[in-house]
Amino acid sequence: MPTRLINPMNETPVRAAAPPARLGSLKGKTVGLLDISKTGGSVFLDRLERLLLERFQVAKVVRTMKPTFAKPAPPGIIEQLRAVDAVVEALAD
Amino acid sequence: MLDIGHPAPAIPGLDLGKDPTLVVFFETDCPTCRLAVPYLNKLAVGARVIGISQDGDAATEEFTKQLATAFPVQRDPGFALSRGFDLKFVPSLFLLGADGRVLRSHFGFDKPVLNEIAAQMRCTPVADEFDGAPRSKPGCMSRHLEPQVEGEFAPAIGAPRGAPASVIEIPDGEDPLEYCFRTFGDGLPVIPPTAERIARMLSGAPVDRTEVIARVPPCYGEATVEKIAANAVMAGCVPDMMRVLLPLVRAVCDERFNVHGVQATTHFAAPLVIINGPIRNELGFAYRQNVFSNVARANSTLGRALQLILLNIGGARPDGIDMSALGNPGKFSYCIAEHEEANPWEPFHAEGGFAPEQSAVTLFAGEAPHGVSEHTARTPQQVLKSISYALATVWTYRLCLGSEAVVILCPEHARTIHRAGWSKQQAREFLFENTGVPVRAYENAPDAEGTQLVSRYKEVLIDGERCYQKFRAQEAIRIVVAGGTAGKFSAVIGSWAAGPRGSEMVTYPI
Repeated sequence: MPTRLINPMNETPVRAAAPPARLGSLKGKTVGLLDISKTGGSVFLDRLERLLLERFQVAKVVRTMKPTFAKPAPPGIIEQLRAVDAVVEALAD
Repeated sequence: MLDIGHPAPAIPGLDLGKDPTLVVFFETDCPTCRLAVPYLNKLAVGARVIGISQDGDAATEEFTKQLATAFPVQRDPGFALSRGFDLKFVPSLFLLGADGRVLRSHFGFDKPVLNEIAAQMRCTPVADEFDGAPRSKPGCMSRHLEPQVEGEFAPAIGAPRGAPASVIEIPDGEDPLEYCFRTFGDGLPVIPPTAERIARMLSGAPVDRTEVIARVPPCYGEATVEKIAANAVMAGCVPDMMRVLLPLVRAVCDERFNVHGVQATTHFAAPLVIINGPIRNELGFAYRQNVFSNVARANSTLGRALQLILLNIGGARPDGIDMSALGNPGKFSYCIAEHEEANPWEPFHAEGGFAPEQSAVTLFAGEAPHGVSEHTARTPQQVLKSISYALATVWTYRLCLGSEAVVILCPEHARTIHRAGWSKQQAREFLFENTGVPVRAYENAPDAEGTQLVSRYKEVLIDGERCYQKFRAQEAIRIVVAGGTAGKFSAVIGSWAAGPRGSEMVTYPI
């Protein structure tokens, strides 16, 4: 007779979200840069912002920062980034 | 809800005196209500506080016993008072004047508001800004507005339910032990969670098996009672351990503890479980020698069950979302109990407002213990000085203000300190004032971790030397007495990122 086990793993249904369509080009787009507030994040994002504006003709860069890297982004930060075309999240220490 | 100037309905048996009376409505299963009680207890020392429970006799009695409410509590049969005060949420606070009119009303937990109410009642402030609790926290919907409980008084009725766990059939040719080892384990064999074993484990938890106790970050899996029981079986727990596991799962998912971060960080942190109260002896928790190691089934299996729950329900697997660079041996099991019998002061959980005879479970996101040997010192100052040198190294030597620490004081050190007439608070103050990092340690180290932040540090003199104070406040150092009565070995356990921006210590009643 087969042994019957009660599943001890997570079985909470997960709703998969379809990824947005990939951008053909960054030209004229608005890009969000999310700093998770680790020490080196701003160094990396400052450079990236310049590259995006100068080399890739991005129309606008929206900079925002999590209050702490230790917790998920609060809803206000997510809302701020909802309107942009793409987001880069920096994890630099 | 009733606002300033509105006449309040009469509360049965209550005669309003000339001084203001604070009426507090609560639900027994509301975490915000539980958070508020220790502050209301402080207020009740110098002012009149009346509690109104929206739940039944048994739940109310358990609530007042667990939280040692220092003010009278009555029930609200049929929610007549809740309707009369036009409640929307709990906790709701109404300050009533001698004429029965509302002087002030507020819902939810809010430290500045509590202090303003204390001032209106001519009491000293009751809520410190940095005591580990959040500045504010929203509450729950008033029980009488939950349509399914109209006229009823069982808090569990409103509890969310999850789907029953699926059944896995292991074919005859396969060894169930090997299957479980491979699929659910922590690198060690686990006991297969068969339906029979789960049924026995559930006998220790008088709640519906599909009740959702919490959603476990970072994957937010629903920890139903039966899934908790399944992991408890795998860890080797006895059914009675469910009494501890259910509040422990609630505690680990408390937003203040932030297990999401604790489980996903690259740091060494693991949740350290500290048990206090009569449950230690009832379930056989070890608190004497080898308290951190493999000495008792209760410690080993409770700590392991928590870790399996975090792995299997929370989803922070060490080869995936859990990104700890070095890990922590405590991720197999990290559970101690306080040696209250050898603690000459009040037990640890009593500092949080719990009665000593109330059992409690505390969680701290900690590194592995760092031992401090001190066999020759004869005075509190010398013993604590040795411990302060280890405290200065937590997180990393040059970084100040960012972390907290638990000091595990061995019974012999506790006795030396107590024998000289010192209180636990004096010991803590000494450690706070004597733990620092010399300013010279930052010279020629401009890029070192901690050096960039020196403008935020406080400079003090320790033994005549200019130092930066290691901790932001004395509350950042907690003292727990544990271990064997022979051997002058204490320990220091550093925290992960501490405070509201990281993880805060939480204590739950059992």
